[in-house]
Amino acid sequence: MKPVVLSLRSRLLLAIIAPLCVVFAVSATFDYRLARETADSAFDHSLADVALDLASHIRTTDESLSVALSAEAEEILRSDASDIIYFSVRDKAGRLLAGDEALPSHEALAVTRVDNQMSFADRQLHGKRIRIAMHQTASAHGPVTIMVAETVNKREHSSRRILVAMVLPSLAVILATLLAVYFGVRRGLAPLEIVESEIASRSPRDLRAIDDALTPQEIRPLLSRLNDLFALLREAAASQQRFLADAAHQLRTPLTGLQTQIDLSTNEGRFSSDPERLLRINEAMQRIGHLIGQLLTYARTEPTTNLSQSFEPVALHDLVEQAASIFLDQALSKEIDVGFEAGPATVPGIPWMLREALANLIDNALRYTPRGGVVTVSSCRRADECALIVEDNGPGIPVDERQHVFERFYRINGTPGDGCGLGLPIVKEIATLHNAEIRLEDGAGGGLRCSLVFPIPSA
Amino acid sequence: MRILIVEDDDLVATGIKQGLRQAGYTVDLAGSAEEAERSLRSEIFDLAIVDIGLPGLDGLSFIRQLRSGDNPIPVLVLSARASMEDTVRGLDVGADDYMCKPFRLPELVARIRALIRRSNTLTDASLRHGPLALNTATRSATIDDRPLDLTNREWAILEILLMASPGIVSKDRLVQALAGWDKDITPNAIEVHVSRLRPKLAAGNIEIRTVRGIGYRMDPVAET
Repeated sequence: MKPVVLSLRSRLLLAIIAPLCVVFAVSATFDYRLARETADSAFDHSLADVALDLASHIRTTDESLSVALSAEAEEILRSDASDIIYFSVRDKAGRLLAGDEALPSHEALAVTRVDNQMSFADRQLHGKRIRIAMHQTASAHGPVTIMVAETVNKREHSSRRILVAMVLPSLAVILATLLAVYFGVRRGLAPLEIVESEIASRSPRDLRAIDDALTPQEIRPLLSRLNDLFALLREAAASQQRFLADAAHQLRTPLTGLQTQIDLSTNEGRFSSDPERLLRINEAMQRIGHLIGQLLTYARTEPTTNLSQSFEPVALHDLVEQAASIFLDQALSKEIDVGFEAGPATVPGIPWMLREALANLIDNALRYTPRGGVVTVSSCRRADECALIVEDNGPGIPVDERQHVFERFYRINGTPGDGCGLGLPIVKEIATLHNAEIRLEDGAGGGLRCSLVFPIPSA
Repeated sequence: MRILIVEDDDLVATGIKQGLRQAGYTVDLAGSAEEAERSLRSEIFDLAIVDIGLPGLDGLSFIRQLRSGDNPIPVLVLSARASMEDTVRGLDVGADDYMCKPFRLPELVARIRALIRRSNTLTDASLRHGPLALNTATRSATIDDRPLDLTNREWAILEILLMASPGIVSKDRLVQALAGWDKDITPNAIEVHVSRLRPKLAAGNIEIRTVRGIGYRMDPVAET
């Protein structure tokens, strides 16, 4: 299932609106109850007045109790604009002295409020809710119970009015807040949209840094990371461009040589097979072949193309033995005494790359060591490191040139040989990828000792 | 010796063809896997050179098809891509050796010679190296048809060197191979055997070269 990701705007709106609604709901509930209680007590008070008024109409004689209530007085008592008024007056035996039989006896009442000798209760009568006020007064013939009741139309009407009066302003406030937050958030997030449209409108080649001077500080770290990435990509793209240009230039030179030799061999449409010239053509071809191979290898050692390759244990001594088969003939043709010392050493790595790195070191040694020289290839394991070492007794590399020889297509001034200037850069790329170090030192016999040193991973 | 070249690039194909003709082989050309298949059905070849990037059915699929049909013909793969994955896949599907373009003709000829030599041992128990001939069934050797007098150990060393040529054989491997006759054989003893072998081969102009620190290699003899 796809996780639901809320937009920043929705998050902010939710975070602000939800608590706001809760606060309004709670405060409105309290306000409403308080207002209703005040209104109810006012209504109760006027009901109580009627009860007290009735009490003044009780007449006591020696034999009996009676209620002296004229028809006019009763009509006035019962008159109300919106509610029906009931009343009853009973003696201590519960006999009805005046009023409505329908009202219950005082024992049956569930009193909810007592206020100043007046009890109040709620009850159903003829299917309608009524509010009852009850008052007991003493007489010579025992206590008399007076009840006055009314239906609750007035009260409900006033509740509704209170509710409307409270809730409508609250709703209006919430709505106003909502709008304010919505537009406020929109304004607040506007800088993000500017950055977004700025990136969206770029061409894939436009890797300039995004100007973060005018952006709020919250998104500046993000932009800064993005700009770092842009810088890396810019560097990578530029290096690719330089490499492409360098490569084309480097290929042009031997191709020109080849073209010249072929032109020289072609005389008025006929090909003269001058052995000297054919030898040159052959040499040029070999240089082109070598250069193309090196260019491909260099391209393949690019870190970005190798991220997916995982390391595996590589036996350096096996690489040395394999190299023996590959380079023996090349060494013999220059009468170079090539020797191998394959000491056991295994490192984590990418096999073809380490093979390629060693091949380049040996190839360099054989190229620059003069006829009759000595080249020794070895692998070994010392206390905390493994190494591939190629040592020769050739001219070596002057100390002040050593930092430059890893630059692409760099050639040491005045050196013979037909290298293409990619060998050591390839070795360097591979070493970097393997966390290995390249050491250039003076050889025991005066030449160069080039070591590829791998740290031994702690077990 | 008859070789089939399966290569669609005309310049490369004719170049190889001329080179192999000069080396004494009979050569046929096929421009596609389908054409090669027809040739292999009707004629007998000693070796096939197959380019990976063929039009239609590609080289690797063609070799896989060949091997699934139990055709044992030695196959050398040519690849323009110098990527290791490619060549490893080539060997996986049943190729016997591979070369990356661009290659040099002398190297191609040397590889072909080694491949054919190995496949011959499988079929008629004979190993040849210039004037030197080994019969693995009778364990006898001749130079220019004159029998060579060899001890068992010398013969075993010679056979291993010859099989591996032009590859290098490490001294360790020789020690292990000879441990069958002599459990306590030492690298020094191997040196002694090799130094006794050398004069016996001198008559055929064959040299066993010492590769410092590794072992020995029987040097290829220029074919006449």
